[in-house]
Formats: sequence, structure tokens, C-alpha cells
Amino acid sequence: MAIFFRVLALALLLAVPAAPALAGGNELVFSWQSNCGPLNPHLYSPNQMYAQNMLYEPLVRYAEGGKIVPWLAERWDISPDGRTYTFHLRQGVTFSDGTPFDAAAVKANFEAVRKNLARHKWLELVNQLDVLEAPDPATFVMKLKSPYYPALQELSLIRPLRFASPAVFPEDGDTSKGLKKAVGTGPWLLTETKLGEYDLFIRNDKYWGKKPALERVRVKVISDPNARLTAYETGDVDLIYGSGGHASGQIGMDAFKLLAADKANVTGISGPLGTRALCLNSGRGPTRDLAVRQAVAHAVDKAALVKGVFLDVEKPADTLFASDIPYCDLKLPPFALDPAKAEKLLDDAGWKLPKGASVRQKDGQDLEIDLCFIGNDALQKFIAELMQGELAKVGMRIRLVGEESDAFGKRQHDGDFGIIFNDTSGPPYEPHAVVGSMRSPSHADYQAQVGLPMKANIDAKITQALTSTDEDKRAALYKDILTTLHEQAVYLPLTNMTNIVVHRQDVTDPGFMPTKYEIPFEGMTKR
Amino acid sequence: MLSYILRRLAVLPVILLAVSLVIFAILRLAPGDPAMAYLRLSQIPPTTENLALARETLGLDKPLSAQYATWLAKAARLDFGRSYVTGRPVMDEILYYLPATLELAGASLLITLGLSVPMGVAAALRRDTALDHLTRAVAFAGVSIPNFWFGFLLVWLFSVQLGWLPPLGRGGLSHLVMPAVSLALMSLAVNTRLIRASMLETMHHRFILYARARGVGEGTVVWRHMFVNALIPILTATGMHVGELLGGAVVVESVFSWPGVGRYAVSSIYNRDFPVLQCFMLVMTVIFVVCNLAVDIAYAVADPRMRLGGQGGRA
Repeated sequence: MAIFFRVLALALLLAVPAAPALAGGNELVFSWQSNCGPLNPHLYSPNQMYAQNMLYEPLVRYAEGGKIVPWLAERWDISPDGRTYTFHLRQGVTFSDGTPFDAAAVKANFEAVRKNLARHKWLELVNQLDVLEAPDPATFVMKLKSPYYPALQELSLIRPLRFASPAVFPEDGDTSKGLKKAVGTGPWLLTETKLGEYDLFIRNDKYWGKKPALERVRVKVISDPNARLTAYETGDVDLIYGSGGHASGQIGMDAFKLLAADKANVTGISGPLGTRALCLNSGRGPTRDLAVRQAVAHAVDKAALVKGVFLDVEKPADTLFASDIPYCDLKLPPFALDPAKAEKLLDDAGWKLPKGASVRQKDGQDLEIDLCFIGNDALQKFIAELMQGELAKVGMRIRLVGEESDAFGKRQHDGDFGIIFNDTSGPPYEPHAVVGSMRSPSHADYQAQVGLPMKANIDAKITQALTSTDEDKRAALYKDILTTLHEQAVYLPLTNMTNIVVHRQDVTDPGFMPTKYEIPFEGMTKR
Repeated sequence: MLSYILRRLAVLPVILLAVSLVIFAILRLAPGDPAMAYLRLSQIPPTTENLALARETLGLDKPLSAQYATWLAKAARLDFGRSYVTGRPVMDEILYYLPATLELAGASLLITLGLSVPMGVAAALRRDTALDHLTRAVAFAGVSIPNFWFGFLLVWLFSVQLGWLPPLGRGGLSHLVMPAVSLALMSLAVNTRLIRASMLETMHHRFILYARARGVGEGTVVWRHMFVNALIPILTATGMHVGELLGGAVVVESVFSWPGVGRYAVSSIYNRDFPVLQCFMLVMTVIFVVCNLAVDIAYAVADPRMRLGGQGGRA
């Protein structure tokens, strides 16, 4: 009898770990703040971009340094007038439901996006689409209303110009009403969604390209960064990947440093994925004065910011766009930290410090500037307070205006600010989409630049750069635009935003993708 | 009694109507623009054009009175609209997440009552002994410690250090322990102090002395005479704890990634998902009203003096 119980106990011991072992091995567990959504390639929230990228693929991809490389299109020709793009599609590709990927499917997807034009108007390429043709199954022709060089960059975006199987479209082809099922050509299939708990992706065994080594990716819903940290520490999550250190980030910078200090973890920081920056309003208040804007740029200690706030996870930025962004390696002279120079600039411009006062004045007006930030964004608040202290030293009074995010957005939209946080979008939107939006009054960029004497000229040059078919001319235009904006100090670039990655030794990852929301699950393995 | 219950329930639609009006007004008077939030979530630039389109899509372009009338007409048919964020019917989503929250709050209520009664009674009976001091210290700490912080301490000890319990998610009993204990902490502490105070007050009444003089056994004195009479304020408090637990669940669910309606409501607040919030508040109102009614009925059971029910005669 005793032996029976021992055998039973042993059997139980062996049986219990059997289940997790099965779930482990080739399953990678990741976490995200919400479920991935229904996964429609042509729609936005609640679809999560990382997941749309797992199922749906573009004609071309954005690679390191802004290079555009073939993907579902093997090659393409651009007509000399820059208006006609002829794509030669990859052969033998099928959607995961077996439907062939051909020119008709491409056209159907483009048409579906066009049916919903109002929602995609923000993307210039969609506005530019004119005639779409599928002369044969292997060729797709896209004619634009006018030349628009960033067409390829915008085709590489995660949404809306990627491809779902036409077989899952609604009867009238209007995909904004929802797909029958999420079916793409990508390396993953979404097999299960449990609301509030997890999404399960499995490998697409019929994938045309290199198949993922992992069999499954389970994405648990964890909304709290601290809960994510504990989930990682207890082994309930294998991978932390994404932006760090703020409300929508994966984990805080301090948590990242803590994990990086432990040799059991492999950690990494990506290259620049956008610039954390502030806009200075040239249209109202003391920042109308170039000297004041330049003084701000000389008075803020970015090195202290990087060390104290970003714990060296983000590096200081001297220009609006990082130098590895196309057309942006301009070697512009940075505004170095130099409070004495800031004071001299202000003195020379007539902003004098009255005896016994701490705030400078000019024509009876105090040098007082509103600095606007999102009140519950701890990082912005911290930076704003630090700037307030530093600018006080050179005789500026900074009024901190912390509000909830929609009121903050309204200030950006209306230009109702002295200085306001305004990060750039990162690749593949830089520089063309960011620069393009500088012409639109509802952007903080436009509002910040509106007081510049050469604003009309800048806008005209932006339009020329976006429509030019001459590479050298375009580069010269970008140089001109970005140099002017830099010299006019309407932006205060702080740091380069980055992605972080953390995993244990049993996971290998292929490094970072060149854009923020692509996660390279395909290249990952887990022992 | 039955007519009393029916009358109380008959008032419910009026309460819901009033609540819906207040919620509707507060949501729209508060700063924040759902159209802006919708565009932020979609990573679409909030241009004037896009904002106008988003307002039209979300039905926010009509006057407030028209918006309320439309909403009310649908709500009367139990159609509470669709979430701005997910596009799914709001009621379906709330009913999907609600059981998890009720499970959590229910477990916490059991812990609260199961521990606070013996602790409070023991502390009162052994007044000013080490046991009493210990109970009071625990109760004091419980009131002072925020439940999310306590939750993280539990996770650190039982999941990170000892590896005994899963740190997040919903599953078996092992998943339930830490969130339920974190959530119960505050109510447990309040209830323990209340029971102790109530017991101390009751034990000096003359009927206790008479009962002892009649030679009634000590157990009967304590439970039958003291506890039952000390029960009225505890019942009131328990009714309030239900609210406290459902409210507290909002925070605890985030800490433990518990797939409940609280976490869903928090993200809806952040996303200005008005239809979800309106429906959520109504569902919560129904739960509160029903709990209060249950407490009132329990009063009547516990204390014959309350059975008059305010109608001038015995119910």
C-alpha cells in the first residue's frame, strides 16, 4: 500500500509540471496594455499596431536608415514624372485562408481604404491616389494626382495600406464595417482572444517567407507597468519590448536599470525612434523674440536631464530629427549649455533685470512664459519643473500649466501656449510627414512657427520638397528648411526616444526594428 | 415585508433616471474631449477636420439635449450604445467583465466578515490585553495602508520571493488569494474596529448583566445577546463595504491584471468612453440599491423594532 502511495505521489509530481512544460518551450509570452483588437488592417483603435504588423504585410518595408526594401512587391518602377508607380508583385504568396495574393487583391484593399477616405485623410498618399489598375495578376499600377516622393515610405506604414484577404471583406467591399475574420499574408495567425486576459498568435505554417522559430506568441493583457515588472520577475512574461518610462511605456526607466543590472537578463536600448521635443511659440508672448528662444536653448541642461530623469536610457538630442533620418545628417551646430550666453542674448535684446528683481523685463513686460504639459504625465511634469528651475537662473519666470491630455491637445491645436511638449513621430514618418504637417494650422508645429517672418517661405519649400522628383533638389530644400527652423530655435529638442528590450538568457532576439511599433517576433527563439 | 421590498424596487427606475442625467451632465461638463481622445488612441493627428469627423462618428455633433434623448430612448430598450473604443455593445462588455469583479468583491467580503467578526469579538472580550492591542494595531495599519501598495508587497513576497502564488490573471483559487486579501484589507480593518466598539458598548447594557444573573451560559451571552445586538451598525457598515470593495476593485484589478469591470472602467475614463461610463454607473447604481435593500431587510430580521417599516403598522 505504501508503495502504491509513493508511486501515486511520484506520478502526481511528474504529471503536474507536464502542462507548463508543454506551454513553455516554443511559446513566448509577451504583454501589452490592452487586447490586440479585431485586427483590421484598414482601421485604427482598438487595433494594436504591433499585432496588425504580425498579420498584415506591406508592398515595401522601411529598413535601417530609411532605406525602402522590397516586400510583397519584388520591385517597382517610377515614371519620370513621379506620378505612376508600377509594382511587380511577389509570386506564390497566399493569404492564410488560401486566397492568392495578386494584383486584384492589392487593388481591392486600396479601394477599400479609399472608400473610407475621410478617416485616412491625414495620410497624404491616400489623398494623392488617383487611378488604381491591375493589368495582370503580377502587376499593380498606382497613379497619383501629383508627384509625391514619400509614397513608398507611406506604403510601408503599419496602417492603413496593408492587405487582408478579399475573401473576408464584407459584401460591399467596405472593410470599415469589419472583416469576417482577420486573414493576412503575414507570419502569424490570431487564433484566440480572451478579453482582458490574453491574445494568442500561432505561426503561419504556410507563410511565404522565412517561418518564425517560435510556435506561439501569447500576449497577456497587463495595463500597469509595475505589474508587468513583477510578471517578468516571476517568469509569467518572457519579453518586455517597447517604449520605456512614461504612461504608455512598458516599464519605467528605473525598473529597466534594475533589470539591466542583473546578469540573468539580456537588455538593450534601440537607436533613435523620434525626438522628445518642445515647441516655442514664435507667434505670441516673449517667445516671439528670437533672442528669448535662443536663450532658452542655451539655458536648459540636457545632460542633467538625461542623467537625472532618463537614467541614460535616452540620449540628448541637439536637432529636431536624428542624424540617421534621411536628409537630416546636416551637422547643424548645437545650442550648447551656456547660461552666460543666454543672459547676454537677453541683455542685448533689451530684456534687462531690474535691480533687486529676479525676473527680466522689457517695455514693462515680465519675461514670463507658460510651459504646458500633460498634468498626470510624471515625466513631462518632472522635465517642466527642472526647466522652470534652470530658466529662473537666467531671469525667466516659467508658469507651469499642467492639464489633462485633451485640454493639452487643444492648446497644441489652437497655439495657446508659450512652450509646449511636442514629440516627433519617429521613422518612417520623419522627416516627410512631420515636416508636411508643419503646414497645417491644427498642429503645434504650425502654431509655433506662425510668427516667423519666413513662415510662408518655409511652407512653400516643404511643398516643393514633397513633390520634387529631383533627389538633389529635395535634399537641398530639406537642408534649407531644417537649418532655418534650427536657427530660429522654435524647437527645443531634449532627447532621442528609444525602445527598450528585456528578456532572459533562454530567449534570443534579433535586435531592434527601425520603427517603433514593429516587434521582431519572427526572428526570436526560445529554448 | 413583501410590499415594502416591492415599493423600494419601484423607486429604482426613478433613481436610475436621476443618476443617468447627473452622469450624462458631469461627463460632458468635465474637461476632456472624447473626439480628441479617440484620435489620440488611433494615432491620427487631431486636425480640425479629423476632430469634426470623429465628433460626427461618435454622435457628439448634436446638441446635448438631443444626445441625452437619443441615449435615453435606446437605454429604455436596454440598448446602451457601443463603446467608442472597441465598437462593441457596451452592455455586453460590462456583463462580460462583471462576473470577475463580483467574484473578487465576493471573496473579499467573505474574508472581511470571516476575519473581522472573530477578531473584533475577541478584542472586545479581552479588552486592553495583548490580543486587543495586536488587533487594534493590525486594524490601524489596515486602514492606513493603500490597497495597491499592499498588493505589491504581497506579490513581492509570495510571487517574486517565495514563488507560491501567481502574480496576475484570473484562474483558480491561487489566483484569487492575493487580490482578494489586498482588496479586503481596508474593509477588514474598519469592520474589526467597529465590531470591537459595538461589542464594548453592548456588553455594558443591563440585559447582559441580567442574562448572566439568570445563569445563561457565557457562549449564549456573547453570541446571542451581545453580538446580535451589536449587529446593527455592522450591517450598515457591511452594506457600505460592498461599495468600498467594488470601488477598490478598480485599483486592485490593475495591480493584479484581473480581467474585471473596474479595470475596464478605468481605461474607459482615460479614453473618455462615455457610453461605457454611463452604463457602468447605472449598473453600479443597481448593485448599490439592491445591496442597501438587502441591508434594510437584514435589519428587520436582526431587530424586531425595525419591522415597522415606517408605515405605522407591522409589515
